[in-house]
Amino acid sequence: MRRGAMIFSGIFLLAILVVLPTSQAATVKPIVIGVPTSLYTPFGRDGLKAVNLAVKEINAKGGVKVGTQRRPFKVVIADTRGGEPNTPVHDALMAYERLITKEKPDAIVVGAFRSEVLIAGMDLVAKYKIPQLSTIAQSPGFQKKFMKDPKKYKYLFRVTTDALVDATYLNNTLDILKKKFGLKNAYFIYQDTLWAKAFSGLMSRHCKKTGWKIVGFDGYAAGATDFSPALSKARESKVQLIGMVWDVPLGAGVFAKQYAAMKVPALLIGFIPPMASPMAVKTLGPGVEYSMSIEFPVGASLPLKKLPKTGDFLSKFKKEYGALPEAAAVNSSAYDAVFILANAIERTGSLNPDKLAAALEKTDYAGVSGRIRFNKQHIAVFGTKDPKKEGVCVIFQWQKDSAGKLKRVPVYPAFLAEGKIQLPPWMKK
Amino acid sequence: MTKQEGYRKKRLDRGIKARSDTLFAVASWKEILYLMIPRFLPVAVLLLLPLFLGNYWNKVLVYACIYGLLALSWDFLASCGLFSLGQSLFFGVGAYIAGGLNYYFHLPPLITIPIATIAGGILCSALLTPVMRLRGVYFAMVTLILPLLLMKIIETTGVFGGTQGLSSLSGFPHEMLSIYIAVVGFLACLFLFRRIINTDYGLILRAIRDDDRSVMSGGINIYWRKSQALFIAGAAGGFAGALMTHHYQFLGMSVFALDYSILPVAAVALGGQGTFAGAAIGSMLLVPLSEALRALGGLRVAIYCGVLIVSIILLPEGFFHYLARKYHQFEKVVKIG
Amino acid sequence: MSLLIYGLINSVILALYTVGFSLTYGISGLANFAHGALYILSGFVAWSLMNAAGLPFAVSGILAVLITAAIGFAFYWVLILRVRGIPLAELIVTFAAGVAILELMTWKGFYGLRYSLPVFVNGGVEIAGVGIDYQRLIVLASGLVLVIGLWLFVHHTRIGLAFRAMAQNERTALSIGIESDWIGALSLAFGAALAAIAAMVVLPLGVMESTIGYDVLIYALAVAIVGGLESTLGMIAGSFLIGYGQIAAARYIGAKWMVIVPLAAIVFVLSVKPSGIFGKFKELEERV
Repeated sequence: MRRGAMIFSGIFLLAILVVLPTSQAATVKPIVIGVPTSLYTPFGRDGLKAVNLAVKEINAKGGVKVGTQRRPFKVVIADTRGGEPNTPVHDALMAYERLITKEKPDAIVVGAFRSEVLIAGMDLVAKYKIPQLSTIAQSPGFQKKFMKDPKKYKYLFRVTTDALVDATYLNNTLDILKKKFGLKNAYFIYQDTLWAKAFSGLMSRHCKKTGWKIVGFDGYAAGATDFSPALSKARESKVQLIGMVWDVPLGAGVFAKQYAAMKVPALLIGFIPPMASPMAVKTLGPGVEYSMSIEFPVGASLPLKKLPKTGDFLSKFKKEYGALPEAAAVNSSAYDAVFILANAIERTGSLNPDKLAAALEKTDYAGVSGRIRFNKQHIAVFGTKDPKKEGVCVIFQWQKDSAGKLKRVPVYPAFLAEGKIQLPPWMKK
Repeated sequence: MTKQEGYRKKRLDRGIKARSDTLFAVASWKEILYLMIPRFLPVAVLLLLPLFLGNYWNKVLVYACIYGLLALSWDFLASCGLFSLGQSLFFGVGAYIAGGLNYYFHLPPLITIPIATIAGGILCSALLTPVMRLRGVYFAMVTLILPLLLMKIIETTGVFGGTQGLSSLSGFPHEMLSIYIAVVGFLACLFLFRRIINTDYGLILRAIRDDDRSVMSGGINIYWRKSQALFIAGAAGGFAGALMTHHYQFLGMSVFALDYSILPVAAVALGGQGTFAGAAIGSMLLVPLSEALRALGGLRVAIYCGVLIVSIILLPEGFFHYLARKYHQFEKVVKIG
Repeated sequence: MSLLIYGLINSVILALYTVGFSLTYGISGLANFAHGALYILSGFVAWSLMNAAGLPFAVSGILAVLITAAIGFAFYWVLILRVRGIPLAELIVTFAAGVAILELMTWKGFYGLRYSLPVFVNGGVEIAGVGIDYQRLIVLASGLVLVIGLWLFVHHTRIGLAFRAMAQNERTALSIGIESDWIGALSLAFGAALAAIAAMVVLPLGVMESTIGYDVLIYALAVAIVGGLESTLGMIAGSFLIGYGQIAAARYIGAKWMVIVPLAAIVFVLSVKPSGIFGKFKELEERV
């Protein structure tokens, strides 16, 4: 027993020793950017990569000019694990707070994945007064809480789109489908979380208004792994279009495989990361052909010919990490966020959070995802008109090119389109 | 120490232990100290600690106290033979009562916490009454599943803010106040439970664990006693949940997460079962360890589990029992024969 | 019709999840909380063998099953043996080991769309107007083969008979020369192998992720409890009850209620019949 106790205390000591912080010396004090996010989700992972890429670029140019001195960026990360279903919010917040108090970041980018964590974390950020540019969570709860006390939450910004904008893009595409091909039976499946429900709700309401027949509107729990009830229902009731909004990779992967396996003769449209991903053909097989997906904002994973900046960003990304980002969302926002931050720091010449927040409010930056400005609720303005005036998204479809290879072809909006929407042959009568 | 052939280890009580067991304890300051130090030193340390720790580690301390309360409540249930795997049920119910009252009726924490403690206890014992007749692993399974069920119901129906939770709840007027409420609540619960279990009332509870049929034949309604025990344990858990809610000013369905069920059991397994002190020590070791490991990033939980496994395998009786034995007894090697 | 077919498939999948867990528990009374972790671990082992060593899926699948079985065996010998008989310690050790395995996989980066096992045969058929892919038919077939094979195994082989002897009376088994620890380790190895077989046929339906481990564990627990912990018949009944319950709930109430079915089933069944539908826990029955 004594030997056991000794081993035990030995391990215990070792664990403590490992934990003891190591001291670091630096000549020029770097500007610390904190990235607390859920690294388990593709959004968090690729977002972090995009941030590192931007930081590397800025540092290669000598860093950011703060007053008279040029200082480099330094990235510190904390895996909040907030995207994992079993993590208590308190635990994610502890990781968040530890990052803030231990590493003392001057600003935070990327931020939480789960809306719950973003919203609960808002109080934390306001308490420690750290400007935050969040780029993942899309919940409208952000605006709601922000408007409760704009003064308190003035350090918080969101660089990415809102579910509202994403839905507008899809609705316009639905209009085209209806007009051009005469589709009229639609079935909506969504992940039963707040933003996805709001998102698909916007789509189904639009459909009702414009004369579609809604056959079903089903929410599945985020952990669902069997979609046969909805798919067989859709098949039996001759649905022509399935709208799907889902962000958890697991369920979306199962859905995509099951959809292909069950041969539901309906066009698939929505936000389904595995189907939108550049690797979709490899993981899901040729069944992805004709499926349509939204990418918000542009430049997240698909290089667009008409927006050269997206191509630049993605080819840099590919060069650095060997592959394109996995998820068709928010990566370009994370990249932009770092430049927006650098931009604001240079304009105000200080790292004081109040001054920085004021400078961020006046942001007007032409980034990968379009022109970024913040509205009164500290949300980047996105629209469907013109990338020179606002941030934009894109909708693309998997199509075969002349060589028979499956490619993602942008089809909407018109100013970004490189091809036309194709109706699958098995849907034509 | 290597094993020697022909010898064995023998354990004997220390002289001072034998002396202080009896009335002579009051005879000398040495004996009094011998009795007092293990009780008062930890209390004093815990009470003084918040003054010296930083902001962040104070949070960890609150965390440790909250897990400690859950571990105590687990140990109390185990003392009457109810082997639970669902401390998060108590925790979550308390959290939702306090958070709901605060969010919808704007009651201050000083009112919601006592209500959540009492009502949480009542609600939990009511929820578990139908399955109280289950024993052993079956009771454990039901308690494991119930909080998950409640979580899914909240997720599905969207009551109490659904997946997004309720935020901007009112906190305590002062940071230190909430820390001391946690520490004092934890210590009070520890000593209260130790006292209860040694009274005649506690004797019946322990008898139910050891042999429920003989208790029944003694004309005692064991189900009524068990539901009382559930109330007491539920109240402790509910208090912890309410405290956490107000401390973080946020309430989400993750209060029913598996963490709050498993970690307390792990704390008891580490500290030693049946004495409450073991549960307290276990949680005071485990929670800071888990926070300290945060620096390791991705490997944190894996290492944490590794440490847990190794320590349980090496000290299956628990940390407290080991310490207590070292404190009261000494070992010597004697020749066999 | 689709309700019947997909209910059946869902039930068989649940039964596959559970069979290993229930076997281990039935023989050695050990509730292996690392079951889900072993399930998903085998999937990643197969994936790594395929993609790193370039083996075909058939070979790497069989290897993965063997490796997982070996891990289960070692798991018993290295860890469980030392805490055998202390239920609390057994529970914490198996659960912590399971979480540690899952965490290590997450740390190694085993998540994301890349990790997906190929289906055995691509394509599908139509049965009575319901489209169904070959992979799901294979799941059905393998569920059937597994149950029959298991029955033959425990009734007609030496090890199988020793398993049953252990399950019925450990002390008597000891006295006729069946070594309890050896059988215990074997039972865990078998449970792990069954989990791995289930993983090989079920995982190709979707993508892999370490969090599946938790789901599998919860489902296995739910089915085993509803059916009665050590009864094979109960396990089948439990998986059919929950499997059809889920599909029916999705179709008639709303898809989001699917996840609630297994949990509600547990609470309901246990409060009516505390030892499960086919449980034969004598001691428990007497006390109710």
